[in-house]
Amino acid sequence: VTRDSLQLPAARSWRDIPQPVVPRAMSREGRWRLTMAVVRSTFVVLVCAAALWTVWYVAMSMQDNTGTPLKAAVLKTDGVLDDAWLARALALPKHSSLVQLDLEQLRSRLLADGQIVSATLTRDFPDRLVVQVTERVPIARVMLESAGQQHVFVVARDGVVYDGKGYDEATIALLPWLDGVEIVPEGHGFRPIAGMAEAAELLGKARLEAEHLYLTWAVISLARLETDHQIEVRTKNGPCLIRFSTRDDYFRQLVKLNYVWDQITRVPDAKATIDLSLGQDVPVMVENPESSGPGQPSHPGVVPGRSVAHEAALSLTRPVPVASQSALFHLPYSQPNQKKREL
Amino acid sequence: VSSRTLFIGAVEIGTSKITVLVGEYTGRELAIIGRGECSSRGVIKGTVVDYKAASECTHSALEQAEREAGERIEVVFLAQTGSHLEGFYNEASVNVKASDNMIDAADIRTVCDLAKSKDLPEGRVVVHNIRRPFRVDGRLVPGTPENLVGQRLDVGYWTVHGQEQRLADNIHVIRGFNLEVRELVLSSLAAGHMVTTAEERQHGVLAVDIGAGTTDFVLYRDGAPHITGILPVGGTHLTNDLSIGLRLTEGQAEKLKLRFGRANLITRDKTQKVWLDGNFAIGDRQFPQQMIEQITSARTWELLEVVKKKLGMAFSPETCSAGVVLTGGTAKLAGIADTAAKVFGVPAHLGETPTWVSENLRDPGYHTALGLLYYGVNASSDHLAGARRRGGFFGNVKRLFANT
Repeated sequence: VTRDSLQLPAARSWRDIPQPVVPRAMSREGRWRLTMAVVRSTFVVLVCAAALWTVWYVAMSMQDNTGTPLKAAVLKTDGVLDDAWLARALALPKHSSLVQLDLEQLRSRLLADGQIVSATLTRDFPDRLVVQVTERVPIARVMLESAGQQHVFVVARDGVVYDGKGYDEATIALLPWLDGVEIVPEGHGFRPIAGMAEAAELLGKARLEAEHLYLTWAVISLARLETDHQIEVRTKNGPCLIRFSTRDDYFRQLVKLNYVWDQITRVPDAKATIDLSLGQDVPVMVENPESSGPGQPSHPGVVPGRSVAHEAALSLTRPVPVASQSALFHLPYSQPNQKKREL
Repeated sequence: VSSRTLFIGAVEIGTSKITVLVGEYTGRELAIIGRGECSSRGVIKGTVVDYKAASECTHSALEQAEREAGERIEVVFLAQTGSHLEGFYNEASVNVKASDNMIDAADIRTVCDLAKSKDLPEGRVVVHNIRRPFRVDGRLVPGTPENLVGQRLDVGYWTVHGQEQRLADNIHVIRGFNLEVRELVLSSLAAGHMVTTAEERQHGVLAVDIGAGTTDFVLYRDGAPHITGILPVGGTHLTNDLSIGLRLTEGQAEKLKLRFGRANLITRDKTQKVWLDGNFAIGDRQFPQQMIEQITSARTWELLEVVKKKLGMAFSPETCSAGVVLTGGTAKLAGIADTAAKVFGVPAHLGETPTWVSENLRDPGYHTALGLLYYGVNASSDHLAGARRRGGFFGNVKRLFANT
C-alpha cells in the first residue's frame, strides 16, 4: 500500500469554516475596528500609489531628459567671460542631454582655465545647464613666447599667469608689465609667481589712492623683492625708476612719491631714480638730460633708471620748506655722479 | 528568525464569564500583557444561543484586554467546549515498505493519513486530531519512528469533531470584532496543559475542568492526550439543585454555594444553620448547613461519577498513576479533591498555576485561558512563525488587508 494509491477521504476541518466579515453581525466596537482597518488600508494604498506614481514620474522624466538634447548652457560670472567662451570651454557634444552630462568632469575642464577661480554647475531641468564662475582679476601683464610667437599673458593677485580672455584692450593696456620674475611652465599653464601679493597690494593701493601716478607706471619689477624687499617701478615717460619697500606702508611711500613726482615732472624728460625704501630719507638721483643723447642711456649697458648721472640725497622732514623743495631742481646737472645736495 | 512580535488573544467564551488574555509572543517567549473579563450572556453550556448578547460581552472583554495591554490583538486562540464536541479513536497500521525494514518518512506519512482518514457525518468538522504514540511491531515509540527497524508501524488518532454551525457561531463572534481566529483549542486540552506537568502526563493523569456549564476532561497517557470528553454539567447545576432544594432564587443559591457549599459532607449536626446573607436584615433567612452540603456533595459526586463512566475502560488507577487534577471555577468547592480521590480511587489535588504566572492570574478560572496561549503557541508554532516572518512593511500591509 502506498500513500499515493490510497484514495483517502479528506475530513473537513474547522479551518474550512469561512470567516467572513459581515458588518451587520458586528458590534459597535467591531465596526469601529473595521472602519479603522479600512481607513488604514486606504491610507496605505494611497501612500503606495503615491510612491509608485513618484517613481514612475521620475523614471519618465529621466527618460524624457535622456531623449531631449540640452538647449542652453547659461553662464553667470562676476567677470568678463561670455557664453561663447563657455561653449568653447565645455565643448559639449551635440545632442547631449542634461542627465548624461558628467558635471564633475565639466567642472574640471572649466577650472583648467587659469582665469577661473571657482565653478559651480547646476542642472536646470528639463534642458538647461547653469554654470556659475568666479574669475581672477588681472593686475599685471607679461610678454611670453608661446609656440614661437610673442603673446601677452596676465597675472592675477595670487600669481597665476593666464591667457586673459574677454578683456578689452584698454584694460590690458593700463596694466603694468611685470619684470624680474621667472615664469616656469607647469602642466598646460605656468607655475604661480611668488610675491605677487606684495605687488598686488602696491598696485591696488596706487590705483586707488594715486591713480595719476599709477597711470604713469610701465613696468613693475620683482627682481629685488626677495633679496632687498623692494619693488621697482619704471615709468612710461622718462623713464624714472621708483623703488618701493615692501616693509613700509605703501600709502606713505606713495605720498612721498606724489610730492617728489610733482617736482620731477617740472623738468622735461627728467630721468630719475627715486628710492622710497629708506624710510624718511628719499634719495633722488636725477640724470642730466643734456649729458646723454636722446634715447641713449647715460651708461651704455646699464638700465637707464639705475645709471646714476646725478645723485641727490633728499632728506624729507615735515614740514618741508617749499623753497628747499624747489631747490632740488635747480641743481647744476653738469657734475654727474658727484653732486649731492641735501634739502 | 524575525524579531517581530505577535500579539495573541486567548478567548474563552464560558457559561458564566468570558475571559480574554493578551499574550506577547516574540518567538522565544510568551508574556501576558493584558486581561479582560466580562460576565457572560447569551451562552449556555458553552454554546452561543444569543449571538448579539454573546458578541457584546466578548467584544467588551476584548476591548478591555486590548486597553490594558496597550496593543492591538492580531490573532485569536479560541477555547472550544460544548456537548456537541465528540471524539473517537481510529487506528491504522502499515507494513514497512523498505526491504531492510527501516521505517522512512513516507511510511510515517502513510500511516498517519490512514489513521486520520475517517469520514465524518454531514455537518461535522474536525477540531483536533490528537496523535497517540507510534508502535513498531507493538513496541511503543515515544518519539518519531523514522529509521527504526520493524515489520509493522501502528498509530492511532483521537479525533475530536464538532458541529459546524456551532463552531461557526463562536468563530463569527470573534470575526465580529474584526479579528481572525487562528487556532481553535479544546478547553480541556488547554486547561490540562496548564495544570499538569510533563512528568504527570507521562505517568498518566486525568485533568478535570469543572466550569459553570460544562465539565471538560482529558486523560493523558504516555505523555500525550489519550481521551478527551465534555459533559454538559457544571457548577450551575449545583446552584440549580440548591435553588430547587432550598427554594431560593438562583442568585441566592449561588451565594450559598460559594459560601457554604462542599463537595463532601462534614457537618453532622442537623440543627446547625447558616444565614443566607449574614447581615440580619429583613428577609435574611437561615438554612441548615448539612442540607447545603448534602446537595452540593451529592451533585459533585454524581458529576465525577459520570466523568469516570465516560472514561470507561480507558481509565484505571494503574494507568493513571499521577492521579486526578481538578481545575475550573467549580474546583474551588471545598473538599472536591477528597471526593474526586474517592470516586476515582487515585490521589487527587487541585491544579496549581505554575510559579511564573503572576499573582492576579493564579485563580483556577484562568487556567483555560492561560493554557490556550501556551498550548496554542506550541501546537501552531509553524503557523505563528510564518505570521511573525511576515514582518516589515509588506507584512504589515498584508495584515492590514487580512484584517479588512
